[in-house]
Amino acid sequence: MATSLSAVESARQSLSACAARAEGGGAALRRFSESVDEFLQRLFDAAPPAAAASLVVALGGYGRRQLCLHSDLDVLLLFDGQIGEAEEKRVRAILHPMWDARFSVGHQIRQIDDFARLEIDNPEFLLALLDARPVAGDAALLDRIAGCVRSPAAHARILEALKGLTDERHATFNDTFYQLEPDVKDAPGALRDVWAARAIAALTDPALLDRGAADRARLDEAEEFLLRLRSILHARHKRNNNVLDHETQEHAARLMGYSGAPRQQVERLMGDYFRHARSVSRSLDTVRRTAPLPVAANLVQSRDGIRFVDVDHARAHPESWLSVFQAALDANSAVTEGTLAWIEQRIDRHAPEDFFPAAADRDALLAFLKPRAGLYARLSEMHDCGLLGRMFPEFQAIFCRVVRDFYHKYTVDEHTLLTIRNLERLATRAVRGRERFSALLDDLLHPELLVLSLLFHDVGKWCDEDHVDESVRMAREMMQRLKLDDEAVALVEFLIRHHTRMSLIAFRRDTEDPEIVRQLADLVGIEERLKMLCLLTLVDIEAVSRETLTPWREELLWRLYVDTYNRLTLGYADERIAHEESGLRALVAGRPADLTDAEITRFAEGLPRRYLQLFPAGEIYRHVQLSRDMRPDDVHVDLKRKGSLWELTVATLDKPALFSNICGALSSFGMDITRGQAMTNPKGLVLDVFQFSDQERFFELNPTGKDQFLSALAAAISGRIDVAERLRAREASVLYRRRAGVTAPPPVIHADNQSSRRYTILDLVADNALGLLHRVSGAISRHGCNVDLVLISTEGQKAIDVFHITRARAKLTDAAIADVTADIHRTLEG
Amino acid sequence: MKLIKAIVRPNKVDDVRDALGRINLPGMTVTEVRGHGKQKGHTAIYRGKEYDVSLLPKMEIEVVVPDHLVDEAVAAIITAARTGEIGDGRVFVIPVEQSYRIRTGERSEM
Repeated sequence: MATSLSAVESARQSLSACAARAEGGGAALRRFSESVDEFLQRLFDAAPPAAAASLVVALGGYGRRQLCLHSDLDVLLLFDGQIGEAEEKRVRAILHPMWDARFSVGHQIRQIDDFARLEIDNPEFLLALLDARPVAGDAALLDRIAGCVRSPAAHARILEALKGLTDERHATFNDTFYQLEPDVKDAPGALRDVWAARAIAALTDPALLDRGAADRARLDEAEEFLLRLRSILHARHKRNNNVLDHETQEHAARLMGYSGAPRQQVERLMGDYFRHARSVSRSLDTVRRTAPLPVAANLVQSRDGIRFVDVDHARAHPESWLSVFQAALDANSAVTEGTLAWIEQRIDRHAPEDFFPAAADRDALLAFLKPRAGLYARLSEMHDCGLLGRMFPEFQAIFCRVVRDFYHKYTVDEHTLLTIRNLERLATRAVRGRERFSALLDDLLHPELLVLSLLFHDVGKWCDEDHVDESVRMAREMMQRLKLDDEAVALVEFLIRHHTRMSLIAFRRDTEDPEIVRQLADLVGIEERLKMLCLLTLVDIEAVSRETLTPWREELLWRLYVDTYNRLTLGYADERIAHEESGLRALVAGRPADLTDAEITRFAEGLPRRYLQLFPAGEIYRHVQLSRDMRPDDVHVDLKRKGSLWELTVATLDKPALFSNICGALSSFGMDITRGQAMTNPKGLVLDVFQFSDQERFFELNPTGKDQFLSALAAAISGRIDVAERLRAREASVLYRRRAGVTAPPPVIHADNQSSRRYTILDLVADNALGLLHRVSGAISRHGCNVDLVLISTEGQKAIDVFHITRARAKLTDAAIADVTADIHRTLEG
Repeated sequence: MKLIKAIVRPNKVDDVRDALGRINLPGMTVTEVRGHGKQKGHTAIYRGKEYDVSLLPKMEIEVVVPDHLVDEAVAAIITAARTGEIGDGRVFVIPVEQSYRIRTGERSEM
């Protein structure tokens, strides 16, 4: 060990001698750093063994091989496993001789697992890691943690921290590099600024140092000058002192060989210092100003758009290519021309599956397709560079396809993309007077499936046969590749198959004929499909030519939509599933082995016919199972996650205030009910299905949250707890209190005794608020009315609920309706 | 020579065109219009709110016919456009003094 210590001492003396000749620049510091490397390698080899593989990593200035005479020696000791007694012994065997060798050691001892989650709140450490290099041991360990530092989140955090630290440091020098006694490490324009400029360029765009005012050669020259000065200062002060004070200026000027009298020597030295400091400052300013912003994994945003940082990584991962367009959408930017050209050159090497190898990639595509500002522009870029056609060869089939007819004015591919642009304009409220259609779009649960349907609605036009059948066939192939679930597949197929139906009816049929409306209502079955078909029709017509969608046609389409919507929501109650219903027969025929024909028929018969269109067969079988063996006090419940929402299904026998109590229980846990339906079959079996968002993340934050909720729900339904009481406490919470001065628009209640033979219908539109459904249905129940059917939907902040109610199994009288609606108004406004 | 102006239900335009074609009157001008006659429209309810639909979408068909074909043309339009319900529309017959062909400037006789 004595040999090692003497070797370090000898290296130190050699560096001192260089400093005395003003030659302590980059080369001398590198030699010194390498001597220290050898010292540490010897210590590492001589240290007692441990079970876990280990590595000594050089950090900061030592990592850059710019270790000065009295610099801190920053090292990281990394272990691939638990640090036990043996490892601690090994650490001591390495660290103690470093102290003996008079180093000021800045050390960190870590297990590799510590880096599983990056410490982004320790930016100094992240910065130090930027210059990390292996000195002794298993170098592969460093590669394993390097990935953490290369993430865009880490890059963004490092950049932010670096800029913050630089600003703070500059502020202590009054933001000027014209210091009469400058600190050659920390002052503006000094060494730290050189490193900062290099770090920003390395993290964002290495070419930044070759453009504009930033100049790599001048930066190198300035660094060399400053390092020489720093070595002189360390040798002179015999400590880590980097201030070039007046006294040392004379000493340094003399060593560096400036000519003239001492005063002139100093002036010349300081003249050179300020020249270099100016170069460094300008370089750093330029780099900071022009550095692109890390926006996502391997992506940065510069003035001309979004591009990859590491093209080798992008080349190996075609599944990441969509992310460039997603990032451009998010940043309201474009994809750079260079990136588009880069993709175009490589696109032919890939099959469609290469772009969606994992479920996460397929989910990312669907998320990308949500209509919003910029989607048309990004899809057009993808189309132009060939990515869209490669992901969807079906779409490539209509590339520049010309179909001659009297109406279409654009190629089929552009017509298709224009439909998406029109939808995007609805999403962004870009067209005045179309707010009513925009509201439909806001209301959709899966707008991305509408965009997917639009993308494929005309792909069948590649051939001259019936394009609708061909479009459906091609869409099926695409959906198989994307592994969409059955519900989504059925929806997309429906929209493509019937994409001309609504325009045909609106413009060519007598829409005042209730039979025509009933047929359309039967075809769509549920409001969600109607809204999607209506929007698809609107944007499809508009994309034919500038003249096709006249206000007159828009009005006809809207009226057809309204009449069909009313038919679906107000007129559905009288149409019940009959024993011989074809939909019921199909259900029975496809039943799973654990259900009997009789069970399915007993459950479904007498429910509104829309039930069969509302739920896929799998869900219906689940409902049948849930309603098995039902005794009067039983409440069978299923609670599951559905995308970003939760879905609660309750099967029970009808009881007083049932609907109100379920809604109250949900609201008392802060759940926001967004959609749902409640229905009753003639045997008194109630099936309520609610979709809600857990705004307060109760289920996520409480491991027993679901159990707590289900137990409270059962207690609320059986009347063992007072839901109103629980809700009152929550309503008083500051989270739900309406802001002072903000008043909700008054609720609108429309009573309809005409649309249904059996029921009085209350159509309610009100500001969505905690406990709204509980209060409204509670008021209805207070009047002795039974809530037989309910449709729940929301449109932005508006709750739109349709209640089908009876009293003593009959419709309400006009007087009774007036009492109930007045009470609901009082309840909501009080 | 008469101008026949017919206001019909939007879905009846194709039927009227076919009917006029059958009596060798192939030319017509069609305009999207909105209005009401006796059928004054109604108030529709959407999501609990009433909205006015008093101006109903209709199609206006214009066709110029020689005097001797007027009755036949009107009968053809009425037969094709009639549903028997309120809102079927109206037919007007208006005298036409002269007619010129823009391409040639010729005065045309029907």
